[in-house]
Amino acid sequence: MSIARTNRLTPYMFLAPAAALLLVALIYPICYLIYASFLDWNPSQRIGEADFVGLRNYFKLFGDDAFRESMWVTLKFAGIVVTVEMFLGVGLALLLDRNIRGMSVLRTLFILPMMIAPIVVGLMWRYMYHPTVGIFNKTLTDWGFAPIPWLSDGSWAFASVIIADVWQWTPFIFILSLAALQSLPSSALEASKIDGATGWQQVIYIKLPLMLPVLIVTLLLRLIDSFKVLEVILVMTNGGPGLSTEILSLRINRTASEFRELGEAAAMSNLLLIVLLILTFAMFVYNKAQEARAARMRKVEEEA
Amino acid sequence: MKATSTKVWSAAIAVTLSYTGAAYAAGHTADVYAPYEGTTLVVNFPAHPHYNAVLDVLPEFTEQTGIEVEVDQLQYLKMRERQTLELTKDEGDYDLISYVVFSKADYVFADQLENLAKYFMNPKLADPNYDAGDLIDGYVANIGIAGGEKGYLPGPTGSLFGIPFGSETSVLAYRKDIFEKHGIEVPTTYDELLTVACQIPEVEPGMGGMASRAASGHQASHAFLLHLAPLGGRVFDAEWNPIINSPEGVAAANALKTIVDCGPEGGTTFGPAEAAASFQQGNSAMFMDSIAFAAGFEDPSKSTVVGNVGYALHPEGVRRGSQTGGFGIGIPSNAQNKEAAFLLMQWLTSKEQDLAIAMAGGNPSRFSTYENAELNAKYPYSATFGEALKYADPDLLPIIPTWGTINADIGTTMSQVLTEGLDPQEALDGVAERARAIMEEAGYYTWQ
Repeated sequence: MSIARTNRLTPYMFLAPAAALLLVALIYPICYLIYASFLDWNPSQRIGEADFVGLRNYFKLFGDDAFRESMWVTLKFAGIVVTVEMFLGVGLALLLDRNIRGMSVLRTLFILPMMIAPIVVGLMWRYMYHPTVGIFNKTLTDWGFAPIPWLSDGSWAFASVIIADVWQWTPFIFILSLAALQSLPSSALEASKIDGATGWQQVIYIKLPLMLPVLIVTLLLRLIDSFKVLEVILVMTNGGPGLSTEILSLRINRTASEFRELGEAAAMSNLLLIVLLILTFAMFVYNKAQEARAARMRKVEEEA
Repeated sequence: MKATSTKVWSAAIAVTLSYTGAAYAAGHTADVYAPYEGTTLVVNFPAHPHYNAVLDVLPEFTEQTGIEVEVDQLQYLKMRERQTLELTKDEGDYDLISYVVFSKADYVFADQLENLAKYFMNPKLADPNYDAGDLIDGYVANIGIAGGEKGYLPGPTGSLFGIPFGSETSVLAYRKDIFEKHGIEVPTTYDELLTVACQIPEVEPGMGGMASRAASGHQASHAFLLHLAPLGGRVFDAEWNPIINSPEGVAAANALKTIVDCGPEGGTTFGPAEAAASFQQGNSAMFMDSIAFAAGFEDPSKSTVVGNVGYALHPEGVRRGSQTGGFGIGIPSNAQNKEAAFLLMQWLTSKEQDLAIAMAGGNPSRFSTYENAELNAKYPYSATFGEALKYADPDLLPIIPTWGTINADIGTTMSQVLTEGLDPQEALDGVAERARAIMEEAGYYTWQ
């Protein structure tokens, strides 16, 4: 009897350490965050001293223009950045998916931007964008053009942080797409070649569809990351001018340290988490649907 | 553990030596400090030129008193974060902290700073020759006292929680050579200041009139408030009604816009360091900010304008009102060596040490230091700074717990005025409306 029970429990015992770790490292902080978002909590107080205010923080956020603006900036930023990076990254991968001499050196060079610490990237771009001594404006004025207000005009500042982010993160997409491309079955490509497919047709009908699962995961990773980018923008513009580059993570940071509203910052983090969960879930559903469709089509083909 | 015991030993040796030396000569002081001999104080200071100078004189304290001092130096915004955590503990690690002016509201409100009355009442601790009247009033009112008028200023109900240490005021730095070359008078009023600021780029192509902070957030707000007080404005009236959108407020916003428009290129992204660098490298003819930057302008390794910089009082608008800000020192309520910490605090802000720190490049907290001949010989601008301090305005900004949020709002809105052409009146109306909501929520209108 007891042996049988022990036997039944064995798998759970093996799972227990992992479950405990999950509980401590993931569930506890998230619950803490959710609880904190219902508090009017000043950093000078201990959490026990903070007043419980229910959903007030959330209502306050929805009525707060600055927060809505920041949410909009974040969505805009993530949308543009990820789209541009996907096109560039996949394009580069398609171009460089061939045997060129020194390819491994090139590949290492390409992923260098990714390896630089974000604070350094921010500083570097900030100096390159400098209104008078920065390389961009110096070159422009030397060539006789008017200097551009890179970081001092709202729309330009937004464009500038996008450029910096694209510079830093395109290599990430490039390297993953390249790996995906190189693991494609050569039989499909050879078959299409025999059938007389042009280069473009190969890309559109064979390479891209086969790469799709990898691309979707890549897209998702980048999207999640781009919602959380902080350091580069913090160093480059600190959210300015006005609120033009104040993305959500920066606003959360300021709410906690500058405005000293830990409850509100927690509420914002939760909202960000929800947005990301929705995105991840949507992507997951799409992926599943695609797989189901592919399976259906295979079945139809097999039956035919 | 080993390190500590070594320290205690070295302290003991230092004390033994000093009995035969300097401290003994001072006679009675040895008795004052004797009960605290061998104590180690942990202090939290910012990384700031003033506090770097303090580090030069601290060994002298240990030598005189036998009290060891361990310094934890942090960047000033980080320092505030660390203190916020430290001060909520039952037993704090810090015995003495340096705090930024706007922390006064939070710390005093949360009962985290010691009221200094009991120390100054204690005849065994308080030095009769301390001469508190010599401390710069504006600084003491701004940084040290709370509980009086409006809650954050001196008044019949106020008391002392800290002593100014590393405080700053604003002065106008200008290029003597450029002003002389074009026969420009040093501005003494705001009208003159704005005229000169826009005249410079015309007569000296490529050079900005005045370099100013303007970056979105705290910097733009700081720059705006710098002009608000002299032009006769305030953020709130006596009943906490926002009056930032008054004609005086709009005038201050317009002044800032004029200054930035006629200033060096890219000025809308400047923080204090960039603005100072612009002046230091000869790209701007004026710079109105903290006195803490002056030493940098006279440093030939960083500055191309050494010897060409003149200093004048912050120009007068409707009234005189130079900035007050910077740091003060106080004793946390959860400190473990409060009395020894008080002795260190008193020693650091005494006449002798205030002068010693100033000579090492720090910011004086006492009028007598500014009048000192030796200091004026070494730093010729000291007299002007001392003069400026007579007009230091302790009520430049409301030091209340909600200030962080309102300050950030002023900063982003002002940045929109500077970069996106938002109308100043409309901008400030918006700030006033949002400030009212924040104050309402915090209970400032409970009695109305």
